[in-house]
Amino acid sequence: MALNRKIAYINLTTGEIETKPIPLEIRKMFLGGRGLDMYLMYNHIKPGIDPLGPDNVALVSAGLLVGTLASASARTHVAGKSPLTGFVGSTNMGGFFAPEMRWAGFDHLVIKGKAEKPVYLWIHNGEIEIRDGSSIWGKTVQETQEIIREELGDSDVKILTIGIAGENLVRYANVMTELKNAGGRSGMGALLGSKNLKAIAARGTMDIKIAHPSEALEYNRKIIRQITSAKVSQTQGRLGTNFIWGATNTQGLVRVRNFQLNQLEDSDDIEPEKLDEFNIGMTGCFGCQVHCRGKYIIPSGPYAGVYAEGPEYTSIGAWAGEPGCRNPLTILVGNHLVNSYGLDTLETGSMIAWAMELYEEGILTSKDTDGLDLRFGNDEAVIEMVHRIANRKGLGDILAEGPLRAAKKIGKNSIKYSIQVKGMSNLHSDERPTPALALGIATGSRGSDHLRSRPAIDLYHLPEPVLRKIYSQPVPYDGPLSSDYRDYEGKPWQVFWHEMCYEAVDCLGICKYHTTFLGATLPNFEEWSKLLYYNTGLEMSPLDIWTVAERCYNIERLFNIREGLTRKDDWLSDRYFDEPTTVGIPGVRNKTLDREKFKKMIDEYYEHHGWDENGVPRPETLRRLGIDKEPSHML
Amino acid sequence: MNQETTSESIAKGRTLGAFRCLNCFVRISPPKGATTYKCPHCGFEWRVSWPLPDLPRIRGPVWEVNRRLAEEAIAKKKKGKK
Ligand code: SF4
Repeated sequence: MALNRKIAYINLTTGEIETKPIPLEIRKMFLGGRGLDMYLMYNHIKPGIDPLGPDNVALVSAGLLVGTLASASARTHVAGKSPLTGFVGSTNMGGFFAPEMRWAGFDHLVIKGKAEKPVYLWIHNGEIEIRDGSSIWGKTVQETQEIIREELGDSDVKILTIGIAGENLVRYANVMTELKNAGGRSGMGALLGSKNLKAIAARGTMDIKIAHPSEALEYNRKIIRQITSAKVSQTQGRLGTNFIWGATNTQGLVRVRNFQLNQLEDSDDIEPEKLDEFNIGMTGCFGCQVHCRGKYIIPSGPYAGVYAEGPEYTSIGAWAGEPGCRNPLTILVGNHLVNSYGLDTLETGSMIAWAMELYEEGILTSKDTDGLDLRFGNDEAVIEMVHRIANRKGLGDILAEGPLRAAKKIGKNSIKYSIQVKGMSNLHSDERPTPALALGIATGSRGSDHLRSRPAIDLYHLPEPVLRKIYSQPVPYDGPLSSDYRDYEGKPWQVFWHEMCYEAVDCLGICKYHTTFLGATLPNFEEWSKLLYYNTGLEMSPLDIWTVAERCYNIERLFNIREGLTRKDDWLSDRYFDEPTTVGIPGVRNKTLDREKFKKMIDEYYEHHGWDENGVPRPETLRRLGIDKEPSHML
Repeated sequence: MNQETTSESIAKGRTLGAFRCLNCFVRISPPKGATTYKCPHCGFEWRVSWPLPDLPRIRGPVWEVNRRLAEEAIAKKKKGKK
């Protein structure tokens, strides 16, 4: 049964391991993956603890549909208090690890304490061992996986690991699996590093019994057709996610030179079709038919001949747009390095671009950079800074602390130039012309982040009747909706809707590219209700799944409030309101966000959630969702 | 199992061989295989690529044309405001 996988409590200080079944009642409330992790996080992490201390808890999980017949059911989730923001830490990655962990018998790991010396976990067919990790400490993401597979004598072992950045407690270090599946944002790699936990290896042959196998197969065939016939999936299968950067740069919706421009003009050398010339094929995650991950060999320079995977749209933002570079090699090498070190591309690129602006403003000098010429457009300096951040050398040691701590150390009003929310740097996108996208990053539960609630389809100018169809289910909505991405009206509902959509998909463990993220015709609540029933036997309506998402999102909010979050944390850098955009198509030029309208959007967004004017969930909201007695310690 | 979902019903409105102009958002259809295409509605000119034989995509702007058009459009708007 897909419902009979267990939860394991692992204490790295004492070496104790306890396993328990997950009660059906809890499943129905939180499903699995991110949702159940958020419940566990709220219950097991004491308020105010040091995120890099032994009291933080690392949660590793698989979504409830992972490893079943549901398409792209591949996602691993990792959570804990974020070393970067001090709020919700949560990350999600594709690949093959989560299905293997389920086949090895486990859905959730609750990892407490700190090992005395480096260790890794070995999970196999219902057993968990804590093993010596001294041979893998100090190794790259790729080397670690090779060594463990050799040590265990099984090339099919799937491994979740941190890189050197995680060991060095870079506050935005990733958790990684395979070559490039990255659990980025919020520093979960640093959390594992702080526990001396280098990796988790899994191998299992415990089949997951599908509740209604022939229906599940047939329905999945239908879903596959739905996904692969979408134009966005077809484009993604050819060009990877790079097309996203191309499309947004074409309009003028990206950050360039940190936040000085909103379009990288004359960028033909780094557009998706140009990067495609380096591509030697596509690959993908467990159960996926889209295959959006490119494969390439670095063609020249010090890394010539290295095989790597990607790059993604975020890599073009981080290694071209934000630092103002136009060299495809910088993108290919930058992508390879962050994946080897286990660093978050978005945060690393943003931190470097921020430092470049500080350098050009004279706030940082060549004394601070140890002679490195950190002007925009200097490809070599960008790559050098990746090494320095991962190894915490010189200025890299300061930048490794993330925007808020680094700005405090640098002083001189350097924070003014940082594009961050809640201590997390923003993606490479520029949201000044797009209030909906701006609201999403301002309010996201893990900081400035596009994967929590971004209504990306808002950019497509979809006709109002189409928007009405999408946004009126599973909860009826008859408020305003607008096809124009520059409008403010109706956008808070879209952000709220996507928040619920992405929370739900993360509970199920399905890839976000297989839902209403980039494509309006991709599956969501209605399809998931059937997938859940055929694969697990759980009978939940689309509205029930929506309610689970609401419940989980409210727990995230409660966690953040307990850690000191207030309404003022749901806000953007002043630059969004004061510095107008300058380039791009006429419709996005000369745009700033309007403070008053933005405040009103936040009020509406809170109202949709059932939160008060300070963003605190109202007692009746918590009662309706059955979480008014949290922490309830049911698991 | 066969009941149509919202997403499936939206998919019925899909148009092959077309994309939305990224300036005026009208759906336009470049001739098959074209590598540049001027939007018949707003005059913006796009470089076009074909990820699949019947799937065109805006590869990027024809920079100099669109820069000029954007500047003219902004100047006109400013003049109108005075
Ligand atoms: S669309 Fe891409 S990220 Fe998603 S499951 Fe498929 S290969 Fe993985």
